Amino acid sequence: MSLLELRNITAGYGKNIILKDLNLNVEKGELVSLLGSSGCGKTTTLRLIGGFSEPMQGDLLFDGKDYTHVPLHKRNFGFVFQSYALFPHMNIFENVAFGLRRRNLPEAEIQERVMKMLHTVDLDGFEKRLPKEMSGGQRQRVALARAMVIEPDLMLFDEPLSNLDAKLRVQMRVEIRKLQQELGFTAIYVTHDQEECFAISDKVAIMNHGVIEQLDRPEEIYTHPKTEFIAHFVGFENFIDLKHSEGTRWTAADGSVLEIAHPEDGRDTTRACIRPDDILVAAAGEDVANAVAGKVGVRTYLGKRMQYNVETALGELVVNTSNDRLFDVGENITLSLDAHKIVMV
Amino acid sequence: MQLFKKNIWFFMILPGVLFLVVFMLIPLCSLLLTTVFPDQGDFSMSAYATVLQSTYFQQVFLRSLKLSILSTILCALLGYPAAYYIAKFAKNKGMLMAFAVFPMFTSPVIRSFSWMVILGKKGIVNKFLVAIGLFAKPQSLLYNEFSITIGFIQLFLPLMILSLIGVIESIPEDLTLAAESLGSTKLGSFLRVTLPLSVSGLVTGSVLVFTGCITAYTTPQLLGGTDTRVLSTMIYQYAMSLGDWVNASVVAVVMIVVTMIVSTIVNGVSRKVNPLA
Repeated sequence: MSLLELRNITAGYGKNIILKDLNLNVEKGELVSLLGSSGCGKTTTLRLIGGFSEPMQGDLLFDGKDYTHVPLHKRNFGFVFQSYALFPHMNIFENVAFGLRRRNLPEAEIQERVMKMLHTVDLDGFEKRLPKEMSGGQRQRVALARAMVIEPDLMLFDEPLSNLDAKLRVQMRVEIRKLQQELGFTAIYVTHDQEECFAISDKVAIMNHGVIEQLDRPEEIYTHPKTEFIAHFVGFENFIDLKHSEGTRWTAADGSVLEIAHPEDGRDTTRACIRPDDILVAAAGEDVANAVAGKVGVRTYLGKRMQYNVETALGELVVNTSNDRLFDVGENITLSLDAHKIVMV
Repeated sequence: MQLFKKNIWFFMILPGVLFLVVFMLIPLCSLLLTTVFPDQGDFSMSAYATVLQSTYFQQVFLRSLKLSILSTILCALLGYPAAYYIAKFAKNKGMLMAFAVFPMFTSPVIRSFSWMVILGKKGIVNKFLVAIGLFAKPQSLLYNEFSITIGFIQLFLPLMILSLIGVIESIPEDLTLAAESLGSTKLGSFLRVTLPLSVSGLVTGSVLVFTGCITAYTTPQLLGGTDTRVLSTMIYQYAMSLGDWVNASVVAVVMIVVTMIVSTIVNGVSRKVNPLA
């Protein structure tokens, strides 16, 4: 049984439906990310799990118990806000102690647990400071400590790093991941940053228009996107409609034949996709595997590599290739599509 | 020239400063001088001694203080829920704020006369109280501390509400959600987060209401009558009815001092409660 289960959740405000029939299972000890562009419903999902709002339909189960209508303050979930949401009128000690005081613990225990937690997030000696006297990264660590010190059953992160600068963001995500593995908490992490999400998560749920399109390990999503939207999202730029011919051979609309090394069984038609990096460029007429003839349309210098927009009978294909051999705009070339890197969506 | 260019912005405050010096600072000093040099004589605090020792003054002074403090507290109690609702939940915020400010568009004279009609022996309040059988005959609701307080509250409640709305609005919702996610009830998160963070609004509102109450003249004059004098009506009585400008000035100085002391205390307390203020 999963630790957290969302069953057929529909949510929104009035007539504005944000989540449609959403299902999500999170296992104990996992860090699951919700990834998607703004407006896809990831924050709504997180706030619903946190208890900030209730779904219009569907159930939320935690540890087998119905949590759909359990009020926010009884959930024992730690929430880390994008805005940090530290109490500006309390010093760091009191901020971190806030949740423990609500649990009526003895003063000595509060003292001990707060100091230990501040040590964990590397903020020894900051107890007497006010939030406004600290930097963004330090504030985020306080927010983390405040949420973790109550020993929550589930940690919820709402784009916790998006207010930090790029360098600090990388550093903090490693720290969060380290803490999560050390303390073994289950976490749900909302972000729109793909790199951050792939770096930190055990599993990633990609959301689009209020629906989870794929829930998988990051490497699985990166190499085998299940839908065209996800393929786009993780950097597949070339899409080709194909019909099954025989074995591993597939035919395009213009009659050219492509080989797909790992096709999905039992499909007659497919939309295949391939990354710009997985196509090789060769001179016109050269004998290469999975060859497609084309003409260079646009050439863009990317620094390490060169990008070509190539006009072919399959439509325009985007190719990134090394700078070793340059092709001019208008030049006829042959493309070689790596049969192992073509993915069916 | 360089220096002049740098300081040109300084001259922009000059007209305002000049106006205040001529029409406030100088009259204020002459007022102060009147009280310590009575009858063009030598320096003497005798005028203060006479006024402060009179039981009539003490009675009026305490009443002024009491009514102003009471009205301030009542304005805070009545104004906070209204401001909280407008800031947090209201969909038609603009309209509600207009309603809150609306009483300020009418002159205090007209408002006081309205209260005289409402609270009079034949007013609707008395009619209602008699009709439901609470009293056998109409009560005197006018010309006492009660009617002054009612007038004060109506006069200054908008100031309290307006001071609070801005402050409550600026408290991020994430803070109360954070408090609740850490185990606070809704009431608890209000008491521990929202209320302490709105102290600065309460302070501003209270200082405005209190100084307004203690300096108000029309309302206590019309609703308090001759038996329920406060400091401001007492000044008028001394100066206009008795022609005693020295004593009137003494009372005026006392009023200024009280206002300053109270604002200082309130500010000091708020700084203790809320380090952000």
